[in-house]
Amino acid sequence: MRALWMLWVGLSLGFAQGLGVPADWPDPFKMQFPRIQPTPFRPFEVTLTNGLRVLLMEDRRLPFVSGRVYIRAGSIYEPDDKVGLTGIFAAVMRTGGAGERSPDQVDEILETLAASVSVSSDSLFTSVAFETLSENLDQVLQIWADVLVRPRFAPERLELEKGRALEAIRRRNDQPTQIAVREFVRRINEGHPAGRISSAASVRAISRDDLLAFHQRFFKPNNAILAITGDFRIPEMVGRLERALAGWRRGEVSLPSFPPPTPRPAIYFLQKETNQSVIYMGLPTVTAFAPGYSELDLLSRILGDGFNSRLFLEVRTKRGLAYATGGAQSQGFGWPGFFYGASISRVEKTAEVIELMLAQFRDLRERPVSQEELELFRNNILNAEVFRFTSRQAVAERIARTRMLGLPPDYYEQYVRQIQAATPADLQRVMQQYVRPEAFVIVVVGDKRQFDRPLSSLGNVIEVPLE
Amino acid sequence: MRSIVGLLLLVLLLPGALAQQLREQIRKYTLDNGLRVLMVPDKTAPVIHFNLMFDVGGVDEAPGLGGIAHMVEHMAFKGTPSIGSLDWPKEKAALEAIDKARAELDQAIARGAPQAEIERLTQAFNKAREEAQKLALPNPIDQLFTNNGEQGLNASTGYDRTDYRVSLPSNRLELYLRVYADVMMNAVFRSFYEEVDVVLEERRQRNENDPNGALTEVFLRAAFQVHPYGRPLIGSREEILGYRVDKALEFWRTHYHPNRAVLVLVGDVEPERDIQLVRRYMGVVPRGPERPNLNIPTEPPQTAERRVTLEYNAQPALRIGFHKPTYPNRDAYVMDMIDAILTEGRTSRLFRRLVIQEQAALNVSSSSASPGFRYPNLFVISAQPRAPRTTADLERLIYEELERLKNEPVSPQELQKVRNQTRAAYLRVLQGGPGLAQTLAFYELFFGGYQRIFEEEAIYNTITAEEIQQVARKYFTPENRTVATLVTKGGSR
Repeated sequence: MRALWMLWVGLSLGFAQGLGVPADWPDPFKMQFPRIQPTPFRPFEVTLTNGLRVLLMEDRRLPFVSGRVYIRAGSIYEPDDKVGLTGIFAAVMRTGGAGERSPDQVDEILETLAASVSVSSDSLFTSVAFETLSENLDQVLQIWADVLVRPRFAPERLELEKGRALEAIRRRNDQPTQIAVREFVRRINEGHPAGRISSAASVRAISRDDLLAFHQRFFKPNNAILAITGDFRIPEMVGRLERALAGWRRGEVSLPSFPPPTPRPAIYFLQKETNQSVIYMGLPTVTAFAPGYSELDLLSRILGDGFNSRLFLEVRTKRGLAYATGGAQSQGFGWPGFFYGASISRVEKTAEVIELMLAQFRDLRERPVSQEELELFRNNILNAEVFRFTSRQAVAERIARTRMLGLPPDYYEQYVRQIQAATPADLQRVMQQYVRPEAFVIVVVGDKRQFDRPLSSLGNVIEVPLE
Repeated sequence: MRSIVGLLLLVLLLPGALAQQLREQIRKYTLDNGLRVLMVPDKTAPVIHFNLMFDVGGVDEAPGLGGIAHMVEHMAFKGTPSIGSLDWPKEKAALEAIDKARAELDQAIARGAPQAEIERLTQAFNKAREEAQKLALPNPIDQLFTNNGEQGLNASTGYDRTDYRVSLPSNRLELYLRVYADVMMNAVFRSFYEEVDVVLEERRQRNENDPNGALTEVFLRAAFQVHPYGRPLIGSREEILGYRVDKALEFWRTHYHPNRAVLVLVGDVEPERDIQLVRRYMGVVPRGPERPNLNIPTEPPQTAERRVTLEYNAQPALRIGFHKPTYPNRDAYVMDMIDAILTEGRTSRLFRRLVIQEQAALNVSSSSASPGFRYPNLFVISAQPRAPRTTADLERLIYEELERLKNEPVSPQELQKVRNQTRAAYLRVLQGGPGLAQTLAFYELFFGGYQRIFEEEAIYNTITAEEIQQVARKYFTPENRTVATLVTKGGSR
């Protein structure tokens, strides 16, 4: 308990209007700075003999090389009765041995060299990445190529990963947020493969033949793009890649297409004993870079991105009803993304928070946003553009993904032009066109015995048992 | 899940040229008010990553004020008289009215006033808050930085430190300095009681409705009986409800001074030019008192195993902690090596044994300096059993592996592998960005200067297999052990 009054706001002479700062300090809200135009990195592009497209950038400052190959082979392509296959496939591809090496040998060599080879997958892509000190490039590149082209899928490692996946399923109702996210993604993508979730039965059904078939079907150089950056010289690296991937042959790959999701608007409720409810609400809108996407992206930022978004201000800052709240427009590639908001709020305010959230969506439909609000989020997008070019590997990977998705090379410039052109009236029109609260999927995870009002007072409730 | 700091402390065999290059680039300045400023030029992109770190955290809290360091971290985003107020004299009066209304309400509750009076005073308190809200921008600092293209605006509070982070386009340097110099001098704790509610929600989310957070809380409480490392960093529910503006401001004014902070800039900077601007703003902030002697109690040596269980609506989990010294004690560095030997990667001993060979665990991880590093801390092992195996099975297997560490020397290859891994991890951090800014701040504040990063390799390089055995024998004993088990609550799931 010491008196520190002498350090409190210095209302001494020379300080501006009693505001505690020297009179010659600028008003930070009036400080103007020119927008820095980023200097884009341009990767060198080459196609290998086998048809693999490669994007390369040299970066000689640190003794590392990183690479990632994207294969169009995501979880939407797995069979209905084997949901979870892609995740297991990715794990066993990395851990089940490769080329001449057993699973343990692969692990031992990589870890002794402090290098990594990793395989990850999502709904659209499987990617195989490596990172190594440049002094070990040859060895690590060989292992990476073996994992990519000659994975062994050792049966005992498949059993191990299936067992771990079953344990993860056993644990997936441990956290309320985890339950809500899973259920929301499932309901909003209903009728589309992206809305499927794995079960103990679907995981148990996965066999080694399924892994081999998945690899055989999608892993072709003409269905892939490689992004590679770091401490090397491009011509030498191209030669290395030709040698390492010489055995990889092109082949026919047909990718099925699916009708868009057809979610059923309702309040999906899952009972969980907890003192907070997790609330997600939204609906599918448009695919990324379709007309309306840029405006929806901007609207979703106004709705739920950061401290000065509507949800944050109304739910958190002004009322203290949540720590976590926000929203976004997801990027949909191949099928529509969704426009959504979420809050994690005390259980006895559940209905109140749902209504408060819905009011934010409605307000964006009923009234144009203020010019000031629009500029705030527009400026953020424009001024943050320089951060798109802080890592060469991230840039190369981004370009690789856009190529794979067949987006125009100047897609981002187009997006920026649309962001620059958007007016409050445009935003309101797009909001009215695409975001209708009566069509929302609303997911609530919480303890209904403690709700302020029954959810049925807000709409049609479908009670979903915890699986 | 080793923290970035844990990894960094394992610096090994730095390629000389690279380390030398970075060393030569770093510029350090000390302002008259004691603020240390580090600059690392990196021309990759026209951006600057800022890290402002104070040597203040949960351990500095008085008993009963648990979590106040975290609370003031939230409040430091609310602005100042010149950042966010629409009419400062009016707002100041409105804020004083809130304090008065809160005090009256507290007194009425304390003397057991009738319900009707409490209702009336509660309404008056809420009305005063609404009035004050009208006189200020809600989140002015975020608004300034959002407008200017911020990335990663955030802050975090630990037991030992608090840091404020943001990345901005490099021509916004002056904006950053104008804002943070003002915050250090004149932070206004507006919307304080609204934020108390926010922190209560944060506590529910992180510590009550998350099985991991709930287990951490009971585990630390059992492991530390007198030292503040045993208290939840976010405070107890009662403590949070008890926060008052005057107490929070007192904590802020006691601790958050330039002489207790380091400011790091990594990115598109020119030190000799930019330090002028730093001085112009940060130089105005008055020096404060040094860190007061808080008489933080020393944790007495543990003499018997402690076991706690948490009945919780989730699948089982296990956490085991052993008391150990902290840096610069050599044993702490040896423990970093043991950490990597046990759980770094798929070939690590515990991962291989528990997850791959025995198929008894979904996962296993460890941390060599938890939950803080300023005072003697814990070596912690966490694991989740794979049904039908149990936490008891995992305990048995883990103790077997710890015995093996005591009884057999680690092979030269295994030692070399761990060194290689940590060297690579270290090099990755040197690639720059927010991680490098945070790391430099950390070393400067707690390890007697950022240069220490370049000197630690010598320590690790001399650690021998015998020392690893000795340290394992010394600390991995039953009587030095705290075991926390999450047991699935019967009934509904």
